[in-house]
Amino acid sequence: MNLESLIHAKLDGEITPELHAQLEVLLRDDWQARRLYLELADQQARLLQQPAVNTGRLKSSSVAGRTIRFRTSALIAAAAAIVLLALVVRPQPLAGTEASSNGVAMVSQTLDAEFAETTTRSGDTLIPGTIKLAKGLAQIEFFSGAAVLIEGKGMIEVISAWEARCVSGRFRVHVPPAAKGFLMHAPGMKLEDLGTEFALNVQDQNSAVHVFEGEVIAHTDQAPASLKEGMTLGQTSADFLPISELQSLVKQREARRFADWQEWSQQARTDPRLIAYYTFKHWPDDRWDRLINNFTEPRNPRRAGGAVGAQWTQGRWPEKEALEFKRPGDRVRLNLDGTYPALTLACWVKVDSVDKKYNSLLLTDGYESGEPHWQIHEDGSLMFSIIYRPDGDETGGRWNQIYYSKPVFTPDSLGRWHHIAVTYDNQSGEVIQYFDGREVGREVSELHQPGRPVVFGPCEIGNWGLPTSGHQFPIRNLNGAIDEFAISGAVLDPSEISTLFQAGKPE
Amino acid sequence: MSSESSPHTEQIVLLLTRHQEPLFRYIFSLVACEADARDILQETSLALYRKFDAYDAARPFLPWAYRFAYLQVQKHREKAARSPLLFFSEDVMDLLAQDRERMEPELDQRLQLLDGCLGKLTPQDKELVTSRYAMRQGAEEMMQRFAMSRRTLFRNLELLRQRLHECVTRQLQSEGLS
Repeated sequence: MNLESLIHAKLDGEITPELHAQLEVLLRDDWQARRLYLELADQQARLLQQPAVNTGRLKSSSVAGRTIRFRTSALIAAAAAIVLLALVVRPQPLAGTEASSNGVAMVSQTLDAEFAETTTRSGDTLIPGTIKLAKGLAQIEFFSGAAVLIEGKGMIEVISAWEARCVSGRFRVHVPPAAKGFLMHAPGMKLEDLGTEFALNVQDQNSAVHVFEGEVIAHTDQAPASLKEGMTLGQTSADFLPISELQSLVKQREARRFADWQEWSQQARTDPRLIAYYTFKHWPDDRWDRLINNFTEPRNPRRAGGAVGAQWTQGRWPEKEALEFKRPGDRVRLNLDGTYPALTLACWVKVDSVDKKYNSLLLTDGYESGEPHWQIHEDGSLMFSIIYRPDGDETGGRWNQIYYSKPVFTPDSLGRWHHIAVTYDNQSGEVIQYFDGREVGREVSELHQPGRPVVFGPCEIGNWGLPTSGHQFPIRNLNGAIDEFAISGAVLDPSEISTLFQAGKPE
Repeated sequence: MSSESSPHTEQIVLLLTRHQEPLFRYIFSLVACEADARDILQETSLALYRKFDAYDAARPFLPWAYRFAYLQVQKHREKAARSPLLFFSEDVMDLLAQDRERMEPELDQRLQLLDGCLGKLTPQDKELVTSRYAMRQGAEEMMQRFAMSRRTLFRNLELLRQRLHECVTRQLQSEGLS
């Protein structure tokens, strides 16, 4: 993260202790960093206090006041245009057609969790109903702010954002001040939370509660009792659930998965079929901060990429970096030499939104014979295309071979890491598309003729660089992040694609 | 405290009222958290009230008040055992406080220009500002309202504030040039 992003994360209260430590180092060493911080902090303080803002009565933007003269370089003008473009094309939530959800909570973390009767996963939104955990650990975060950790065999009924019922199992409940008043039912008692942390064991219709911090009002068949820190009500044979468990286990698992992937990746990059292999490793000593190294072994630095606009962000695991594509200008420039009889494109991508007609994955500049284009179509399907236009043809006839998978990017799969891949063989003409290691499309185009080569040349990841003449500048940037991208000059078979997925899946 | 306000009380109340905003800004720059800053502002006001006898009316009020605010920030950090990692360490805070006092005239000038830059925001950005700063909507609420992921929301807020900052910087430079 760069200095600016660190400062903004700090101002938004969205900073982790690790990043906070980074920010401190920068501020300690550099007075210019402190200056920027102080300016932005002061601006934030003003926004929080500003009467014009506070009353919600911002003046309309037409007020020009006086003419201000200042020199603007073409670069700044271009940057401003891109920013403006970003604002113009940002999808507007329309009144009346706004998407809605009746969710009241979400599953924020899981560890080896198996849910009975449902296929709940981490990140899922929960509507009122009963959640049965068969094994593992799961953390449920209510939209009120309350969080419940369930361990092992357990059942909880989610009633609303402010109310739940523990039916059986071991629970740990955290209620921040904002969720004060959260109501937890359990057999024989009702616990009203005054901002606290407590554990609850429910077994055979018997409840026991232990308060770790703060205060809980326990309503039983007796008079309401105030339970304070260290107090226990009821009998239990099991230990109360310690909170450190889920976080530390999740961290351990992430570290393990990352290490496993690294080990696998060291081996995979020696595959001679690879044309280029980008792991999006951020080089702290790259002074321009824009290098997207090609990690194929033996090394071929000529095929390294250059990031434009796109910013570094977290990848599949906390230690793994990724590149985030957000603005219409964001992209990674590549130049891949050679001609090939086939191809495989494979990448790990987190798509935040499919908000354009075409959302770029990898496209060659322009669209000449033998050049592949790989995109996500507006309906959420993967779209691979390759064109073979006879020399001198200007008629724009049907030369474009287009292949769609079934839709894979749906609200459920957005915002999560997925592995996608496509293979193309210039003999059989067969295109196979994959999502998380499984086949989601297989087709031969009626336009196929065997033996025509595949070429790349100048191309880019996450955007479409130089459209053919006569077109307006189309907005095709990906809205999401990519943290691994492999390009091969041969077809990887289904079992190999499945291995790519298994070796790299986040959990 | 007697129930009748003495001239002494009136004087400090007046001074505190007049300097609420700069005091809040000073404290905020050291803790960067609104809730903490408001708590500390209250504690500082109380401390200033108690020590008002020691105030020399011939000298400017704010530098004197800042010293109390700085101590209250330190106290607050020691009390906040919950997440000490999210507070600046003392040496960094010290540097920030020193730099800030030097920069204060410029910061004041920037704030005057900020109003103009706020007026130039696009309607979309104004909606974000209103939602976040005027209506004090939380992240979840804003994510729903604008149909954005958490990351996108904070990214947009970051870009918005960055644009405001750049707008102010440009105006400051153009004023210097003209």
